[in-house]
Amino acid sequence: MVKLKKRNRGSADIPTSSMADIAFLLLIFFLVSTTIDVDTGIGLVLPEWVPEDEKVEVKIGPDRLITLNINEFGDVLLNNEVFPVPRIKDNLIERIRSKIELPAEKKLIVSVKTDRKTNYNLYIQAIDQVKAAYFQVREEYALSKWGKKLYEIKENSEEEKELRDKIPISISIAEPQVVK
Amino acid sequence: MAFEKKRAKTKQDIPTASLPDIIFMLLLFFMVTTTLKEFNVLVKFTLPEAEAIEKIENKRIVSYIWVGYDERIQIDDNIIDLKELGNIMYKKREAIPNVIVSFRVDKNSKMGIVTDIQQELRKVHCRRINYSAKFKS
Repeated sequence: MVKLKKRNRGSADIPTSSMADIAFLLLIFFLVSTTIDVDTGIGLVLPEWVPEDEKVEVKIGPDRLITLNINEFGDVLLNNEVFPVPRIKDNLIERIRSKIELPAEKKLIVSVKTDRKTNYNLYIQAIDQVKAAYFQVREEYALSKWGKKLYEIKENSEEEKELRDKIPISISIAEPQVVK
Repeated sequence: MAFEKKRAKTKQDIPTASLPDIIFMLLLFFMVTTTLKEFNVLVKFTLPEAEAIEKIENKRIVSYIWVGYDERIQIDDNIIDLKELGNIMYKKREAIPNVIVSFRVDKNSKMGIVTDIQQELRKVHCRRINYSAKFKS
């Protein structure tokens, strides 16, 4: 008697149950390997480029202008007096605060001028102080008016707009001069 | 009469056949959204530290300029000359109109080179800049 046994054939399809695991592994690899590092720094907007012959001089009264000169020896001059860098902030805060309610054309302007040989780090420290002063005044204003901290204020909101109107950060990078 | 337990005839397990597809979708989403912009930084630099720093959330509109301690300027993956900088940045601004130029300058360098770059940027109207700095803790 011949036993006719049907041969047991292996199933022809690829096992898909582990596919999800493979995809998960890939997913995890990409999640781990991508670095999401946010760039941090001090933001500024450079003044518009005006050709030499179209330049117009605008007089700015001393009551709204703060000059910050940094020379090559590392001296920081605030309104032409040598001034320690860490104290710039406190000095500026008072003046910014007093101008919150003034119209736009009377707001403070900080003019920063450096020498070609000035150390970059020192320049950043000085600008940082100015920025910090502005931020502190903005924070005080936001806290007293809406009871919010600066980071709680959303971008492009009415509140942010008001902050910008009341306490605009105007740091002017002075035009480089050619010394004869 | 035998009691038979009533059971639904339908299968009770979740169909796992579409699971890989779902995971692949997730994978593709992450692959597309993360920007893998790693640069070969060819210059040596140490960033300055500051307190009043802001974050740039939108990484896509940021363009970097590196300046090393030896005053070499790097954009993208190349060391470039100051004279070429204007042209390169002009093209960048054409591609991304609201480009933010981030300065990654060595903290011991001189202001001269920074001023020169700034002047070039002003000429091509790339006026939004950022001095990259680490948070002083």
